[in-house]
Amino acid sequence: MNLLLHELRLTLRSRLSAFALVLLAVLAIASVTAGMAEVARQRATIARIQPLQQQDVGAIAQWVTKSKDPGNAAYYTFHATWDSPSNLAFAALGMRDVAPFLLRVRTLGLQAQLYEGETFNPELALPGRFDFAFVLVYLAPLFVIALFHDLMSGEREAGRLRMLEALPGGSRTLWRRRVALKFMLLYAALAIPFVCAALLSHAQATVVLGILLIIAAYLALWVAITLAVVRLQWSSVTNAATLAACWLVLTLVLPTLAHVVINGAIPVNQGVELTLAQRENVHGAWELPRGETMATFYARYPQWRDSPPLPGDFHWKWYFAFHQNGDDSVSEQVAAYRQGLQARDAWTARVGWLLPGVGVQWLMAWLAETDLRAQLTYQDRIHDFHRRLREFYYTYLFDDRPFGEADFAAAPKWQ
Amino acid sequence: MSAITLIARDELRLMCRNRVALLSIGLLLLLIFVSAVTAWSHHESISALRARFQTQANEAFEHQPDRHPHRVVHYGHFVFRPPGALAAFDHGVDSFTGSAMFLEGHRQNSANFGDVRQSSLLIRFGQLTPSFVLQTLAPLLLIFLGYGVLTRERETGTLRLLLAQGVSAGALLAGKGLALASIGLMTLLPALITFAFIAGEPGSAWAPISMMATGYALYVLLWVLIVLLVSARARRRRDALLTLLTLWTVTVILLPRIAPDIAASARPLTTRLESDIAIQKDLRQMGDSHNPDDPFFAAFKQRVLERYGVERIEDLPVNYKGLLAVEGEQLTSSLFDRYSRESFEAQAAQSHIMDRFGLASPAIALRRLSMAAAGTDLSGHQRFLDQAEAYRYAIVQRLNQMQADAVSYADDTATGDAADRRRRVSAENWQSIPDFEFQPAEPHALASAAIPGLMTLAVWLAAALALLAPASSHLRRGIQ
Repeated sequence: MNLLLHELRLTLRSRLSAFALVLLAVLAIASVTAGMAEVARQRATIARIQPLQQQDVGAIAQWVTKSKDPGNAAYYTFHATWDSPSNLAFAALGMRDVAPFLLRVRTLGLQAQLYEGETFNPELALPGRFDFAFVLVYLAPLFVIALFHDLMSGEREAGRLRMLEALPGGSRTLWRRRVALKFMLLYAALAIPFVCAALLSHAQATVVLGILLIIAAYLALWVAITLAVVRLQWSSVTNAATLAACWLVLTLVLPTLAHVVINGAIPVNQGVELTLAQRENVHGAWELPRGETMATFYARYPQWRDSPPLPGDFHWKWYFAFHQNGDDSVSEQVAAYRQGLQARDAWTARVGWLLPGVGVQWLMAWLAETDLRAQLTYQDRIHDFHRRLREFYYTYLFDDRPFGEADFAAAPKWQ
Repeated sequence: MSAITLIARDELRLMCRNRVALLSIGLLLLLIFVSAVTAWSHHESISALRARFQTQANEAFEHQPDRHPHRVVHYGHFVFRPPGALAAFDHGVDSFTGSAMFLEGHRQNSANFGDVRQSSLLIRFGQLTPSFVLQTLAPLLLIFLGYGVLTRERETGTLRLLLAQGVSAGALLAGKGLALASIGLMTLLPALITFAFIAGEPGSAWAPISMMATGYALYVLLWVLIVLLVSARARRRRDALLTLLTLWTVTVILLPRIAPDIAASARPLTTRLESDIAIQKDLRQMGDSHNPDDPFFAAFKQRVLERYGVERIEDLPVNYKGLLAVEGEQLTSSLFDRYSRESFEAQAAQSHIMDRFGLASPAIALRRLSMAAAGTDLSGHQRFLDQAEAYRYAIVQRLNQMQADAVSYADDTATGDAADRRRRVSAENWQSIPDFEFQPAEPHALASAAIPGLMTLAVWLAAALALLAPASSHLRRGIQ
């Protein structure tokens, strides 16, 4: 213990080490603070829209109630959906800055609404966010290099190496002690701010433990890479240059190459294609005999089959039926689009086995529920909500029931 | 041969003997080559894809059957943003914004299907373009090759010898700088060749290209000077290397990530949901088209009746429903314009805050210059949004006017199949609507948009040059 304290004093007396450790702790604190501020901002936005949304529905209810036409209610009422950030989202903001976490949908064809974007400044999104995952993936390895690159060469260059090796019991335990100590210091600089933020955010204990393990594993990997270079007995400066080059290739060059390869190998154009096709099918219904449209709809949704026949002029149930037919006509393309996105994500995870930075980023975003899967899950939930909305309005439309003020309150609620 | 070129040649000869140095130069050149090829092929493929989609959308629009004009207003149109020629060098925000937009009456949709939401998180690691390689990696090459140029001479004691032999400190700095600058030029060369290729493409112009070339040259030169200055001051090679790596990390990796967070919290944006609701609320306050007694629409009706000198809307020579649609679209569009202008202004303010960080990080300044000249920055995207909105408004109003002129009010309000046939307008009308043609910014506008970034880089360069004289006297003093 006493020896460890001595080592600690030695480490902190080195200006480079002390400065590096303080800087890493400051960066970690800043990153979790920025992440928590962003999560709080997103939560505040979600809270802020609730009264606005209620007012909007109230205003529509006011004039719809006069005619009590369920078609007007279904057509004009937008229903808000939102995707609250998880308690761990502060650590890895993932795609939450470019994918919408708020979306309003109505009972018209969902495929024309689901891919709407949020207003964001692309110039701010371009460099990526300053979150804990960034500090860990990009910056932590550089601090490992700064602290470890001269582990042995520093002693040699100071003329102490021979003396240390001549110590009784050999220098093995000394190196081990030094490596362990520096590792612990780096780990503390990252983990303590993270754990504090996780406690403040009420993150789940198992997920926090998972991230703590990831931090340890990622740091250990970089310490191992550094020690492998240090063992080659080059000079401090050659070690530093070699290690910085390793970092550059692993975290900057190869991920961008992997991105090009994956996107080239798995093209996803189905998004645009299915939107174009859905529009043709929806609007084409105006040229078709209306009975045909209803037959297609009833074949898929037989529970509404007993609805009275269409009148001679416009009826909203026909209108909503062809919107749903339009959605159903592209369901294969929707599935293909989704599979393309998932395949890209799956290959990214595989690349993560080779490129530790990619792997850590992927795992963190997965645990924080801010990745592509979380985005698709949100879309699934919207899909489900949209189905509930349709079924709700269908009961009025297909049974010709009036839609009054009280019925607005009976509409399905998000979550 | 002067002392300066001798020193430069000697330094380069030393680098040639260093296998690691040769390897890293070779790798970087290879990377620039690979990035140029992949960025070019990506550019070609998205250009072709978007052109194909645009043709498909135009054909679908023109091949509509006879329809009621208002059906066409809802059928809408799709427009796609074609990438500019220089986007092959710097994708900018192209992958971060949607490139497909659905235009319809009453609504303003977002541009969708951007790469960023379709590409897993790898896209956030950066995109392999020549601009990425030059902005991010070229400085590192200069650091690795150059951190020791002067520190080595000091550490090994040869500095004292050189100066004693009558080489001036200024000549030493100039010679070493020349050697590094020639490495820098070597990294720039593939970029310049790419520029020459792009210049041969249709739709490209020399003004923005030369702006970009100047910007990248200044940036590389700046890093040559930074490496030289640190190497002249550092006592040990390791100190020089660590100082330079720290500088690089802070200015190229860290600040570009911190600046957006600060800009975003300084000027928060209104979400689409909030502006949608606000627009609906404003519309209801201006006039409620669902309320037959609404004062706004009652006054509009009165104005129309007076203009045509009739008592009832049934007696109008035009279809009142069409006129109402024109008026309604004008109202909603004026609100769309107001809210999108507010959003544009807030985003421009955010970007402006980012720009100020250019004074702390030359990489930010260069990125601004490069994207502005390539037309792949925020304003390039907003240009597309503006033109798409103008096109949307033009076709929707043309269709509304068509409803007013070519569909009779009686048919429009009647029911039954016969009336439905009568209120349809001939399909020829859809073909007469002009296609969407995106007008890229004028070359001189792109070039002048790059000036602020260039000025920031010039300030950096001037500061670095000003530090050369003290560095040279530091070299001299160091041996006394």
